Amino acid sequence: MQRKIKCTKCGKIITITGNPGETVTATCPSCNAVRDIKFEKSQEYSSAETIIQIRNISKKYKDILALNNVSFELKKGEIFGYIGPNGAGKTTTIKILVGLLNKTSGQVFINGYEMPEQKSQAHKFIGYLPQQVAFQQWRTLNHALTTFAKLSGMQKNSIQPRIDELLETMNLIKFKNKKINQLSGGTIQKVGIIQAVLHKPDLLILDEPLNGLDPESRYQVKQILRDLSKNGTTVFFSSHILGDVQDVATKICILDWGKVLKIGNLDELKSEFVKEKQIEIFFSKKSDNFREINKISGVQNILEKSYEKILVNISKTTSYDEVIHKIIQTLMKNECRIRSIAPVDPTLDEIYQYYLRKGGSKK
Amino acid sequence: MSFSLIFKDELMGFYKSKAMIFLWIGLSILALLIHVSSSSGDMSLSILVSLLVSNIGGLLASVMLTVNIINEKDTRVYDLFLIRPLKRWHILVSKFLAVYICVSIACVLSICIGLLVDYSKSQIAFELILQNIIEPFIMTFSVIAISSAVGVLIGVISPSIVVGVLLVIFGGYYVSSIPSIIPFVFNIENPFNVVLILGIIITTVLMALSIFLFNKKEF
Repeated sequence: MQRKIKCTKCGKIITITGNPGETVTATCPSCNAVRDIKFEKSQEYSSAETIIQIRNISKKYKDILALNNVSFELKKGEIFGYIGPNGAGKTTTIKILVGLLNKTSGQVFINGYEMPEQKSQAHKFIGYLPQQVAFQQWRTLNHALTTFAKLSGMQKNSIQPRIDELLETMNLIKFKNKKINQLSGGTIQKVGIIQAVLHKPDLLILDEPLNGLDPESRYQVKQILRDLSKNGTTVFFSSHILGDVQDVATKICILDWGKVLKIGNLDELKSEFVKEKQIEIFFSKKSDNFREINKISGVQNILEKSYEKILVNISKTTSYDEVIHKIIQTLMKNECRIRSIAPVDPTLDEIYQYYLRKGGSKK
Repeated sequence: MSFSLIFKDELMGFYKSKAMIFLWIGLSILALLIHVSSSSGDMSLSILVSLLVSNIGGLLASVMLTVNIINEKDTRVYDLFLIRPLKRWHILVSKFLAVYICVSIACVLSICIGLLVDYSKSQIAFELILQNIIEPFIMTFSVIAISSAVGVLIGVISPSIVVGVLLVIFGGYYVSSIPSIIPFVFNIENPFNVVLILGIIITTVLMALSIFLFNKKEF
């Protein structure tokens, strides 16, 4: 990475280059003053566990501000779901991260390397799937994957077994020697995912990876992402399929009009949205004595929705597990038959809509 | 390592393409027909044929490279290459060399076929043919090199295939003719040395400009 320092003697600005943690001796070309500069990780880059660090990045396309002071960090092994409406700036962020676009301002670090200045080093750690994946049409599937494996620096003898393993996992082994122009859109998307994970990168950046995939393939891809995360790979993916994001993401960021509306794990996102905790109970047989549950500590009130369904509001500090156990005991004692009982859990879709409405004034 | 890998791949992609098959066969037949139908056994006919063949080959090389680069830019093929530890110039230079080698071989093949016909028709001494073979080859290699570099440059700067092809036909074609015109218009001594030097200079400048613009490009 590069840093600009001011000579303490003559005030001249000097540019020095070094790696995180390294000490570099800087000599001023004007007054020959010598100074040792340490490239502190904490100064330029927060910790060894941090894979992505984005600091106040902005991107302008002529008059349009596509990204406005976006900042976040990703640690090793996290699965980061990046969601937002069309035109929110998701793909722009991803392209800046992988070095295909230049940012207007701000800083981006990948594994300690600043982008785009040190992109040749950073690219060794990255696996990337673009939103619109394409291969040279004259290549066979196997040939395309072999080329990308070699370009990613994989050992020659490990390439073919790894390609075969992934083709088997994705049920594509029968297409191994087919030309790319003979494959369907969904199959090409799967090949795109394979080329991204082929070299077991430390950081996987996927732009809409589940687009155009059938339910079985989506399940397989989500499983691959979970397995990679368990082995320490950080996954950054954008998606419009919020159910899938909810399934796999350990951290979620909602973006709208180039601004981060909310970032955190699902519970943190819910905390603002969920004003009160509710438990939903369905009865197969209900007696009037069900109101006895009002006496349980933590229960605030009961809402009768229909003959067979009630909603129980509980205080925010009460644990679901504790109160549900007491409710079941009380209802059984009062000869009520329960068909189902569960906490009312908002979906990511509802949370997403909430934050978009809340952030709507910023348009 | 990465350059030799993508160069080999590009070479494989181009030599099997339909346009190249047309060149391998079409140019040879063209040269054969000209030499067979000509009554004189004059060696200047070889220069004329080499000019014709290199212009056709050069034009096709330009169009092939322009269409290929624009198409791969539009379909976002480069994204998967550019996020790997690979220099951007590797992509352009490997394409340039692959097309240059394929088209040059096709042109050399057709010129040689023509010379063999001359030899069989007029019984010119084989040594004389070998002495005279250098000049048409210099002409051919220079024109194809410039045409290919023009194709790369137009491919990098053009927003669409239609614009790219129009630029090649109405602009690039004339640029690639420069080395074959200037030495003869100005009556320069040793014109083929000038053809060679002009070929190298113009090709280098065009490729350097293409690489500079490609490095600046956002994808």
